Amino acid sequence: MSGRATWVLAGALLFAGGPLAAADALGAPPAHPAPASTGSARASLRFVEAGAAAGARLRHHTHKFAGAYADVLGMFTSGGAAAAAGDYDGDGRDDLFVTDSDSGRTSHLLHNEGDGPDGVPRFRDVTAEAGVGGGNEGSAIVADALWFDADNDGKEDLLVARFGTPLLYRNLGGGRFRDETAASGLSAFGNTIAAIAFDYDNDGRVDLLFGNYFKPVDLVALPDRHVLPNDLDNATNGGGVTLWHNLGTASGGGWVRFADTTKQAGLAAHTGWTLDVGHADLDNDGWQDLYLACDYGTDRLFWNQRDGTFADGTAQAIGIDTKKGMNVDVADYDRDGWLDVYVTNITDEYMKECNMLWHNDGAAPSKPGAPPARPTFTDLSKETGTCDTLWGWAAKWGDFDDDGWPDLFAVNGLRSAGPDNYIPVLVEMIIRPGVDFTDVASYPPIGKMSWSGFQKKKLFRNLAGGSFAEVGAAAGVDNEGDGRGVAVADFDGDGRLDLFQTNADQESLLYLNRTEPRAHWLALRLVGTKSNRDAVGARVTVRAGGLVQIVELDGGNGYSSQSSKALHFGLGAATHVDAVEIRWPSGAVETVNVPIDRTSTVREGSGVQP
Amino acid sequence: MRTTISTAGRLAVVVAIVFTAGSLPLRASATQPTPGAAEAAAAQQAAAAKDCPAALDHFEAALRADADNLRYGSDYRKSVIACAAYDRAIAFFGKLTDEHPGAANALLNYGYAYVDKIPAAGAITQVILANSALTLFGKSLDLQESWLGLYTRGNSYLYWPKVFGRTPLGVADLEKAVARGDAEGNRPYHVRAWIALGDGYWKLDQLDKARATWQEGLRRFPGEPRLQARLDKQGEELTALIEGSMDPAKRVDTDLAVLWAPQ
Repeated sequence: MSGRATWVLAGALLFAGGPLAAADALGAPPAHPAPASTGSARASLRFVEAGAAAGARLRHHTHKFAGAYADVLGMFTSGGAAAAAGDYDGDGRDDLFVTDSDSGRTSHLLHNEGDGPDGVPRFRDVTAEAGVGGGNEGSAIVADALWFDADNDGKEDLLVARFGTPLLYRNLGGGRFRDETAASGLSAFGNTIAAIAFDYDNDGRVDLLFGNYFKPVDLVALPDRHVLPNDLDNATNGGGVTLWHNLGTASGGGWVRFADTTKQAGLAAHTGWTLDVGHADLDNDGWQDLYLACDYGTDRLFWNQRDGTFADGTAQAIGIDTKKGMNVDVADYDRDGWLDVYVTNITDEYMKECNMLWHNDGAAPSKPGAPPARPTFTDLSKETGTCDTLWGWAAKWGDFDDDGWPDLFAVNGLRSAGPDNYIPVLVEMIIRPGVDFTDVASYPPIGKMSWSGFQKKKLFRNLAGGSFAEVGAAAGVDNEGDGRGVAVADFDGDGRLDLFQTNADQESLLYLNRTEPRAHWLALRLVGTKSNRDAVGARVTVRAGGLVQIVELDGGNGYSSQSSKALHFGLGAATHVDAVEIRWPSGAVETVNVPIDRTSTVREGSGVQP
Repeated sequence: MRTTISTAGRLAVVVAIVFTAGSLPLRASATQPTPGAAEAAAAQQAAAAKDCPAALDHFEAALRADADNLRYGSDYRKSVIACAAYDRAIAFFGKLTDEHPGAANALLNYGYAYVDKIPAAGAITQVILANSALTLFGKSLDLQESWLGLYTRGNSYLYWPKVFGRTPLGVADLEKAVARGDAEGNRPYHVRAWIALGDGYWKLDQLDKARATWQEGLRRFPGEPRLQARLDKQGEELTALIEGSMDPAKRVDTDLAVLWAPQ
């Protein structure tokens, strides 16, 4: 139980062949270039946990249900421990919004005040003055959070996704927010567990996609006991997804409004138990495609048809699976110019699903004017050594050793409690002839039992694209918390990507990256002008040290967490960058000169800002 | 349930009764054709022509004529796998065993039909299928204890993770199976019980007993590579070998042809 206008301008001309064409424009790299050297010694990945010192250690509380089925409902809703990294006040440092989920509990907005004398960043809890702590009232349960610039005013607004209706807070500046939910049109009830903000129609405004776990029923009131999956491997009675099109600010005043376009966009037929949603341009056509990770059954891949609709390409692209999809994150892990997808599932003593590292096999360039050729994907998790992360939750890509190759941090663990194991008890129910899986009354209470608990987190170091080495223990991140989300950001601004891990019913962890020896890096904060202001969907190609790195700016990929919008590139030993090219969501392509070992801001059409 | 092939081996007792090695069922005689033989022959022709509907129809007709015919059931299931008609086979055997409640071999084939579906199912459905198979193997043994039945059920128990506590039940069945194999003269396929029994001890963390069992098996079946491989490995290599042999994603060989193959 437990889970993604058109570019047509310059982009269409320059990138018709996808990133490989971009690479050619930058000076064609070898198909599989040697990794950039990091100098005389290979860096040793190492992190130090500093949550308490940083003021960022927060305990999460899952919602405590009442009534006869409280125990069972609690098991099925044990998520909600989310974190969103984002620079809401524009001071150049990523702040954190950290959720809580039980009635009466408040979520927390932590302002990053900069580093203390010990090099540890200090966070100040500004929830009360910002007015964004609420959400666990009545039947609502806070489940996820997302920073996005809804109105393109340069200030990150805040979405709080819930089992219930969402909350949308407008960033007024000065550290203050106003609840604009009622006027926004985001009024539909849903059991939303995941949210991303991305511009699916390239109209310059970011839209919202909600991944919904249960069908839209009030779990607190529970008017009908039959709310659980109708099949534990092929469930079809989940909440699916909801797509909200950003209509912009209404003429004559008011603020941003959204319209439900799920059906028009071709996404309404999906009724799975969506646990995470991710977006990326998977076919290199300049339009954002979707990957939906679904619990109790089939993940879905939807191709953006460039007309405001999506086509279900699951069967051809990835095939039909029966796994327990938990997470979607995207990176070009082998630097072949095509974005790959990592999905966590459940791999444990009693269930050997294996995660999925969907290697994007690419597609031949299509003829001018013809529809783009759609890639297929091959699961290489076993071959790369990334198959087993136990009971998976969030897994995030990041170049943690700055060698130019994206590494992967995966959290896991469902419920760490007493010494008794719930699995044999549960299986006795599962194998009972004629049992109704949808009925909460069918499930035995879990009481004080553990269930896939006390699991060590996994850090996979990318060994130059073909395989990974698991180094969690040596790096100091192999904690046994009941992990849920992972926000990746350079919280202390030292050029090394840090990790913020949320845990269900446990305290969060802040891992500061102390990897030595240091390597060179660069980071970019993008500001869209014709494109959406957040530049979500922008693709940056960096050529340095013999590597061509392609990274897209995502709007919240990864389970229960959002990473920084600053795009980070490890450069290894390279002391200069040959070229940096940005393909903006508007379709414009821009080449900029970017200094290394610092974060630069690039404004669409205006280059690097002083 | 890799057991199955083994299962086939265990077939010894049942097979010895029902079949003569390399021949059609004993029920056939010079003067009285084996019930269903014509339908079985037609089924084989259809299967060779990859005509799924016809092959399945003819096999089912053959089994209706001779419900407890182990070979018809095994051949039928081979076509079922080729045609991915798992649910049809499960339904068919369900009805057949309802109509022939004393047919121990039909119950075994019914159980194998569930095993055959496992690779095509999701992880949780696999558990349900495996448990259904175990139940049927037990019913078959209640009717008629045989090497094949003991091996099949014993090996099936070993596929369950330790947390379910079923390994000792599997070891008990397999201890009986090796004893039966000895009593029946140790046909080549009987080696499977020795392999599985050692694996069962290994799973119970009784490594010395496991190695002794594999060695004893090797004494009876000299040169048997699967026994030798286990004896040659230790630690993680041995773990990988045994756990790899019980990967539910891999299809268990439930083809019983080894039972009537020329020895």
